[in-house]
Amino acid sequence: MYVFLILLAVIALYPLLFVMMTSLKSTSEYINNKLMLPHKITFANYYYVWVKANMLKYFINSCILIPCALLAYLFVCISAGFAFGRLRFPFRFEIFLGVLFLMIFPQMLLSIQIFQVVRNMHLVNNYLGLILVWVAYFAPFGTYIMTTYYSTVPMEIIESARIDGASIWQMLLHIMVPIAKPMIVVIVIIGFQSMWNELPFSLLLLQTESLRTITQGIGMMQGQYGLDDTILTAAIISASIVPLILFMFFQKEITMGAYGGSVKG
Amino acid sequence: MDSFILIAPLLVLLAVFILYPVLANIYLSFFKWKGMGHATFIGFDNYVTMVNDPTFWVSIKNTLVLLLYIPLGAILPIMVSSILREGLKGWPVFRAIIYLPNILGYVIIGMIFSIVLRKIGPLNGGLTAIGLGAFALDWLNKPNLAIQALGVVYGVWMRLGFGCIFFLAAMSGIDESLYDAAKIDGALWWRTFWNVTIPSIRFSIEFWIVLSFIEILARAFPFIYTFTRGGPGFATFTLEYGIYNSGFVAFNMGYASTWASVLFVLCAVIAYFQVQLMRKNANA
Repeated sequence: MYVFLILLAVIALYPLLFVMMTSLKSTSEYINNKLMLPHKITFANYYYVWVKANMLKYFINSCILIPCALLAYLFVCISAGFAFGRLRFPFRFEIFLGVLFLMIFPQMLLSIQIFQVVRNMHLVNNYLGLILVWVAYFAPFGTYIMTTYYSTVPMEIIESARIDGASIWQMLLHIMVPIAKPMIVVIVIIGFQSMWNELPFSLLLLQTESLRTITQGIGMMQGQYGLDDTILTAAIISASIVPLILFMFFQKEITMGAYGGSVKG
Repeated sequence: MDSFILIAPLLVLLAVFILYPVLANIYLSFFKWKGMGHATFIGFDNYVTMVNDPTFWVSIKNTLVLLLYIPLGAILPIMVSSILREGLKGWPVFRAIIYLPNILGYVIIGMIFSIVLRKIGPLNGGLTAIGLGAFALDWLNKPNLAIQALGVVYGVWMRLGFGCIFFLAAMSGIDESLYDAAKIDGALWWRTFWNVTIPSIRFSIEFWIVLSFIEILARAFPFIYTFTRGGPGFATFTLEYGIYNSGFVAFNMGYASTWASVLFVLCAVIAYFQVQLMRKNANA
């Protein structure tokens, strides 16, 4: 049994280890030594990726863009999740099912028209355009998670806030946000991962080279003819480092969110 | 009234960036349009072009090949989970390892495997080193191999970690007394698996299969983009990739919309099943 599991773990892990090792080898060493640890560690590949291939700029772009997008995403998911999960209004369930229904459509199906819409708003090559599209595309899932969470919150809490005469926004900010903290962490992480790894929309909406996100940067790098595998692997590691660090700290939340999002536990 | 203010941001964004694009896309599929300037109404001409387009049928065939990997992509994580359910030491470490691919995302994983499966790449290097040089094939440059490689990496390998977490959580809800009863009856592991585990997680299996359809039909583009760019030739083209190619490489927006309309119908059918399942789940 253990042998089987270890085998699976190796199959899961080896490709990543290979990438890590390769990124530290020189091209000439890689030709002769593909599988084993590097004999001589070099950071030349990283130098190329970060300095010559402009990865530093793309990295900073992602770090500016994503927090802004996450704020908008949180606002949309929390307020809609609260309404769907805890308030009663006409057609609530029908509208909610409609939101779930819209979740499925692939990015490429939407892309042709999204590009036209964003162009008519004069937001191509503008982060605001990409932020709006990202939030529209990723918020239904976050809303679904928040809705299932809020529907388990006892009604008395809301009623007591109502009696105090709090407005809906005060209620949201002072009661609904604090009690949902663990779930908010989960949807922030899910949102972060989705946005960090997103390619089609950024490819379409950010055409100026200096605006590129990190994932877009390495995706386009791969298309360039004649780049060595050692350089590509350094690019892969560079783009993975932030998600990996996040995973180390939030492993529980990440795996919990992955499941909690699809089926009630 | 308050409720509508709270859901308004979500609904406005969805209307502008999801609902309108889906509908306008069907409308545009009846036009000839290059992305700029005047669009000419041409009725069903795009649809006629599509059914006579060999690339379209290759994409459909490729999608069907990928769908054939769904059973393996379900059975493997179910088996692993039922082994892990019995409480093995070191589970958290193992879980973290097999979940890693999901952290890195489609773009990165596609890129990693485009390197791993090169003709003179590490997989073939490894095979040769252990004396299996005969199996060291040119995985990504032979059309028949490339689509199978896509099925194995994208359909099975990439989804294994999430599958284990998904099914383990489902199995944690099974009443332990069912297993005790089976033990008293002296049932073998295999029979217990078949008669207790599988029926108890039926709902989750159905859900997983719907998710697998979505992954293959509607989420594969970024992976294929870095894995093979749809190639060699059109060997790993799917409907999504065709939309990209006609729309943003050849700038045939009207024709790309025709493909997108086909994809829309397929997705709508799957979404219908998904929403039904979520409804059942919400009521359960």
